[in-house]
Amino acid sequence: MNTELQLKLQSYVDGELSASESRQIADLLARDAEAAALVQQLQNTKSAFANGELEVKLPESREFYWSKISREIERENRQPVAAAEPSLSLWQSLQRLLIPAGAFAALTLIGLVGLFALRTTNQDSFSVHYESDNAVADADAFTYNDEENGTTFIWFSYPSENEFTESDDSLIL
Amino acid sequence: MSAVQKTSESGLTPAAAPPNDSPLVKAAQGGDMRAFEELVARHRDKIYARAFSMMRNEQDAIDLSQEAWVKAWQRLAQFQGDSSFATWLTRIVINLCLDQLRKHKRHRAESIEEMDEESGGVERQMPVVTINPTAGLERGELRQRIDRALGQLSASHRTVIVLHEFEEMEYKEIAKTMGCSIGTVMSRLFYARRRMASLLADLKKAES
Repeated sequence: MNTELQLKLQSYVDGELSASESRQIADLLARDAEAAALVQQLQNTKSAFANGELEVKLPESREFYWSKISREIERENRQPVAAAEPSLSLWQSLQRLLIPAGAFAALTLIGLVGLFALRTTNQDSFSVHYESDNAVADADAFTYNDEENGTTFIWFSYPSENEFTESDDSLIL
Repeated sequence: MSAVQKTSESGLTPAAAPPNDSPLVKAAQGGDMRAFEELVARHRDKIYARAFSMMRNEQDAIDLSQEAWVKAWQRLAQFQGDSSFATWLTRIVINLCLDQLRKHKRHRAESIEEMDEESGGVERQMPVVTINPTAGLERGELRQRIDRALGQLSASHRTVIVLHEFEEMEYKEIAKTMGCSIGTVMSRLFYARRRMASLLADLKKAES
């Protein structure tokens, strides 16, 4: 007997077949002893269950059993937010990931901008000195500018055309 | 209330009628914990027994039945009275037991014997015994034997038997509850019944 027929016979015993299928099986049982024997066995088992289950009693007192249930209910009532946390939506989960990542990216950007600004400032101050150094537009002269005292010193590596003294090679402007 | 009155008029004892849970359920839905405690007192044995029949472990059955009561309290607003309160609660404990059994199954490697049992194994091919191994047994003794035989089935086969024979679910409903196909339900049920027939016959032989 194949599996399909076995399961069909079981469906017949359980009343899960249509009226026409049930009639077909009834006809089969009248001429197939093996099928009829299987149906008989399935019906015997089914009728044994119809006598009900073994009675099982809760092995705890009513008070003790209830006390654990009421405690748990009270605990759940106290923590409604905590209980709702595990059921985060996809968007909420993404937010949890994106917020710190976004903050990190923003800090990195601020750092880069700051670094760039610092480098630009350094270049500017260098160019001031550079301009200062080249204020005289003479490759053989060196200039020192003291803004506090409003004084600029220029050293020439060669003698000036209008020297005040021969020993002094600096000019005070 | 009317059901109780009718049984009284017909001469039957009121104890034979199922208790009317509606007033207690309504009170509990309004937040009355005392009413809910009374419902627990009424149905605690039934809910524990269903958990025990599926888990075959006392502590698991206690824990899961209590968890079912807590869930029932949280979901009381969803109970519309389409079924009895006891049936609704039984469905909750069954689902919790199934979840627990799935966790157990994930955590243990399946033995060859279990895989063989899942597919039907040798039981599918065994000769049919038409002698009823439970004939003539007193009801209490019969229930004990059935319980012992059920204890020897795998969790998945025992569950199918419990849902079909004791909870009177149809194939389609069992498939939905267990998260499997109707074909799997039919196959498991067939195997479980033949195995039960074999185990009950063995118990009869041992007795004689």
